[in-house]
Amino acid sequence: MNNIFEDRKAKVETYKKDIRGKKEKLFKVDIPEGLFVKCEKCNEHLFREDLFSNYYVCHKCHSHFRISARERLVLMTDDDSFQEMFSTLKTVNPLNFPNYDSKIKKYQEQTKELDAFVAGTAVIGGEKVAIGVLDSFFMMGSMGSVVGEKATRLIEHSIKARLPLVIFAASGGARMQEGIFSLMQMAKTSAAIRRHNEAGLLYISILTNPTTGGVAASFASLGDIIIAERGALIGFAGQRVIRQTIGQELPDDFQTAEFQLKKGFVDMVIDRNNLKSIIEKLLILHKRKETDDKHE
Amino acid sequence: MMQNKILIANRGEIALRIIRACKELGISCVAVYSKADESSLHVKYADEAICVGEAHAVDSYLNVNNIISAAISTGCNAIHPGYGFLAENEKFAKIVEKCKLKLIGPTSEIMKKLGNKTLARKIAKDIGIPVAEGSDGPVDDIAVAETVADRIGYPVLIKAVSGGGGKGISIIYNQEELRKLFELTRHEAEVNFGNSQVYIEKYIENPRHIEVQIIADVFGNTVHLGERDCSIQRRNQKMIEEAPSPFVNNKLRTALGDAAVRLAQAVGYQNVGTVEFIVDKDGNYYFIEVNARIQVEHPVTEMITGIDIVKEQILIAFKSELSFRQEDINFSGYALECRLNAEDPNLNFRPSPGLIRNLVLPGGPGVRLDSHIYSNYRIPPYYDSLLAKVITYASTRKDAIRKMRFALEQLIVDGIKTNIEILYLIMHNTNFVRGVYDTGFVRDFLEIIKGE
Repeated sequence: MNNIFEDRKAKVETYKKDIRGKKEKLFKVDIPEGLFVKCEKCNEHLFREDLFSNYYVCHKCHSHFRISARERLVLMTDDDSFQEMFSTLKTVNPLNFPNYDSKIKKYQEQTKELDAFVAGTAVIGGEKVAIGVLDSFFMMGSMGSVVGEKATRLIEHSIKARLPLVIFAASGGARMQEGIFSLMQMAKTSAAIRRHNEAGLLYISILTNPTTGGVAASFASLGDIIIAERGALIGFAGQRVIRQTIGQELPDDFQTAEFQLKKGFVDMVIDRNNLKSIIEKLLILHKRKETDDKHE
Repeated sequence: MMQNKILIANRGEIALRIIRACKELGISCVAVYSKADESSLHVKYADEAICVGEAHAVDSYLNVNNIISAAISTGCNAIHPGYGFLAENEKFAKIVEKCKLKLIGPTSEIMKKLGNKTLARKIAKDIGIPVAEGSDGPVDDIAVAETVADRIGYPVLIKAVSGGGGKGISIIYNQEELRKLFELTRHEAEVNFGNSQVYIEKYIENPRHIEVQIIADVFGNTVHLGERDCSIQRRNQKMIEEAPSPFVNNKLRTALGDAAVRLAQAVGYQNVGTVEFIVDKDGNYYFIEVNARIQVEHPVTEMITGIDIVKEQILIAFKSELSFRQEDINFSGYALECRLNAEDPNLNFRPSPGLIRNLVLPGGPGVRLDSHIYSNYRIPPYYDSLLAKVITYASTRKDAIRKMRFALEQLIVDGIKTNIEILYLIMHNTNFVRGVYDTGFVRDFLEIIKGE
């Protein structure tokens, strides 16, 4: 049956070529750059505005795009509620590590941040919190003295102001260019969290992709409630290092958020689109508890 | 000379209708099709055809990314959405605009204004067009219900927010009935739709569904092409349309046309659209909504005005000025349209896709057939059941009806069940022939047939 249509079409085309014989020129359409974003996982083209309204999560394969600290703050806090603190702290090169200064400068230009940690206060679902976000676009969110100092000051501020603390971790670990200064931050931040805990305050730690090394081994793992964002890589040492050290094959889902949930390392795994509402609920539940305490 | 090229983001008879318009205008056109539509006629007759996904419409005809990619990869500079699918989809319109392609239809901004029914009603009200009064939102308690009913006057309707198919609706003539039936209707809504929310609307007795075709260019010229009567509908699905309406006199025609044009101008409307009204038995009209697209029943208007609406809408999209003004529009003759559907009237009009073994088409002067079917064509089960629009045109309404009767007698679709007999019987119904009917016509008519 299809042949009759194909025969006709072929005939029409020959006639047309004979009669007209010229090729048509089409209008050129220039699609503006950056209108669509390609998902690195499933290759789907996503309309940028849609991607934003879906919390930078792919509509098709639900993979979570990496986002900057500022984008994270926009998505996770109530509109215009974020007030930044300690924004002038700046990294020096304490060990005169070669090329460290130029590297810092490059990342500062790229990300428009002075270092990898943004701290301040904000409102989430009507509840005021002290909030800190690591930026994985700044040297993989590695913790040097500035990150550690800002985190510690934020924790201390939340103790003083009796605010719940919310920290979004995203880090490759300690910043090796600062050597022992980096490692010291693990102890300093952990001690601050301890004081926060003793003050009876809530600390919600959210582990985003990736949370590893010295950050995973210090304040990020010390939350009263530890939430892993879907798809996050969470662990201490890298997979290759572990494989070579123990001489065994690692399970397929090793160091995934789901794996850590199974092993009891995190309390829940949440999709980014639901994350804000979950945090809101936790804050409200916690608030009730605190008012109850006062009545007793 | 630079050539325009249009992607037709639709299927079935409307895709074919648009292809015909493109061919007459000398514009190349690209058809899109799903994997279930490879043997569809629009695929065969377009200059090019490109597959946009799997059978289910969400994966193909509603797949924005694939449709846009198809347009870009085939070098199109415009997209015609037809009706249904992505037509009137504000987000799609916005993406098309951002890609610097032309959408043949109104802008996304206009769609946004008109898509919000509360806002559209407010705009109409503000410029003095009557709207069916109502609660403008759900009513949860009887005291509020009484206040609303008092304000708009009895009779009123209590309607389930998630309702449909005639369930969860009560007609209320006085306060006593309102008190009696308010909670009952809420309960019925809860049981039937899992949502007890109801709203209140002025009840219009024996309403007619009358709509006005408008057409506006980008230079501010807005013209109406008269009305269509679409009151012959089954469960809000139109079956038969006609123009002009046997109910509308010249005075009402002018008033409706005037209201439609003023509303179009108030929102800065561009391209073609339809302003829908409900008209009561005394000729009072109430604005319902604007359909920001070409409509299925546009041919009846084309027949009585001699204007090719699809061609005009393409020209307007490419920034041509309208070639006529309101005073150039002359209405002459009567046109009827019957929608032939692949559905089984004996099984409650259930869709009946399948293989058309044989097909015989009607013809002769004043008979027009807009259809995508052919012998040995297999109707896929995934899409709507419209097979053909049979349109007849004559100088009197009676002649148009006679023509339609014989056109339906000639039309043979062998192999599947259709609603042709119902259409044929309606063409012989005394009330229809007299032009005395309202939106309850088909419901009552089917009751009578069942009884016999």
